[in-house]
Amino acid sequence: MSQFDFEIIHRSLSYLFFEGMRFTLTLTLLSALGGVILGTLLAMARMAGGPVLAACAAGYVNLVRPLPLVLVIFWFYFLVPYLGQWLTGASRPIHVGGFASALITFIVFEAAYFSEIMRAGIGSIPRGQAAAATALGLTYRQSMRYVILPQVFRIMLPVLLTQTIVLFQDTSLVYVLSITDFLGAASKIAQRDGRLVEMYSFAALVYFIMSFTASQGVRTLRARVAVPR
Amino acid sequence: MSEPVIQIEHVTKSYGTGGPVLRDVSLTVAGGEVVVVCGPSGSGKSTLIKCVNALEPIQGGRIVVGGQDLGDRRVDLPRLRARVGMVFQHFELFPHMRVLDNLCLAQTKVLGRPRAEAETRAMALLDRVGLHAFAEKHPGQLSGGQQQRVAIARALAMDPMVMLFDEATSALDPEMVSEVLDVMVELARSGMTMMVVTHEMGFARKVAHRVVFMDQGQIAEDAPTQAFFEAPRSERAQQFLSKILTY
Ligand SMILES: Nc1ncnc2c1ncn2[C@@H]1O[C@H](COP(=O)(O)OP(=O)(O)O)[C@@H](O)[C@H]1O
Ligand SMILES: [Mg+2]
Repeated sequence: MSQFDFEIIHRSLSYLFFEGMRFTLTLTLLSALGGVILGTLLAMARMAGGPVLAACAAGYVNLVRPLPLVLVIFWFYFLVPYLGQWLTGASRPIHVGGFASALITFIVFEAAYFSEIMRAGIGSIPRGQAAAATALGLTYRQSMRYVILPQVFRIMLPVLLTQTIVLFQDTSLVYVLSITDFLGAASKIAQRDGRLVEMYSFAALVYFIMSFTASQGVRTLRARVAVPR
Repeated sequence: MSEPVIQIEHVTKSYGTGGPVLRDVSLTVAGGEVVVVCGPSGSGKSTLIKCVNALEPIQGGRIVVGGQDLGDRRVDLPRLRARVGMVFQHFELFPHMRVLDNLCLAQTKVLGRPRAEAETRAMALLDRVGLHAFAEKHPGQLSGGQQQRVAIARALAMDPMVMLFDEATSALDPEMVSEVLDVMVELARSGMTMMVVTHEMGFARKVAHRVVFMDQGQIAEDAPTQAFFEAPRSERAQQFLSKILTY
């Protein structure tokens, strides 16, 4: 093959970023959001739900975490249409797009990790805080919403963001579903024009720069958000 | 005195599978009465206070607060707790909220007061504890004594029928104890019904109607303040008093 071709990168920039990176970032942000919400509910179920609920939540977390993500992605992609059929009682497997399938997978998968972060966070708040909230007449929900979780999010923000950066990198695994995320887009051009070295090097560089910059941002943030007590 | 605000009848309490922490405890606090509870560490004072607010479940006996039996399933516990003020050893202000918001949160969310009304009430109470100027600050910017005064104001904002104090001054630096006791004395003199766990015997002498002495999960002595200090009947109370008063 000829020399390193910068031109091919330059020409595909808009496709790579407006198609690929937009998909990657959308998937990352929505997955993180959904994962944090579901993870928080799981953490609360484990810490304050009844014994059955707590066991279910714990079982879920312990079931999901040892599974390789790529397997879950595949599995969900092929399973969700049938699951949807079963749930809705449709006559044929329902159609689920690549994006929806990937999003559900990442939310379900990441929730297990976020729930552990939230559990540690909730556990780090002095018990007296919940007691004070309860003594004031707040219900469990209100106490979580107004007193405990705001403190947890503040303390855990750096960890949550770090996990989101990992998630950002992990979203590249959706290429197994032939989805045009950033890596998928780079890969398509690489195959089409036979420019594998250029495109994969460039993709690596972009992932590195974005993750590294974000990590540095988190580091700066960590120093600043410590809650004064 | 008037109607009992707190009736504790033959209460038994243990944590998990451990032994009993409260054993057949009975105690009545009448409206307007100030009762000081003292006793050695581990004797069950904090536990008793928590039970009065149903923060801890009991296994035997019953507790009636403001005419409502805490064990009755029909009682709306959050509503009842809202009317029972509680002050903790470690203040437990909410660190992520301004002082003003600490005072308004439960007023608006539990009592359903309009925000403006809640703020007016909050400012009046901050004024009462001498912290009007600190409304916009966060708890972390206040000294321990100031934080505890805010915590008292926060409880008062709910218009409680009784105030419970659990060693409200024992986590404070010595020079800050009196500013908190001053607030508590003023509160007692205003006619507030109070159940106060404390080792500040000066406070007890000044405003307490009765002193209750607890030992090993039981009430060893329950006497009018003067009688308690002049002639404690139980030997345990005598020993306890000589220990904390002679130093
Ligand atoms: N949450 C808890 N779980 C288990 N045991 C407890 C708990 N809180 C208190 N205890 C035990 O109950 C007893 C009474 O404690 P406490 O009510 O805090 O006493 P005091 O306030 O008089 O020092 C002690 O033996 C203590 O170890
Ligand atoms: Mg105690």
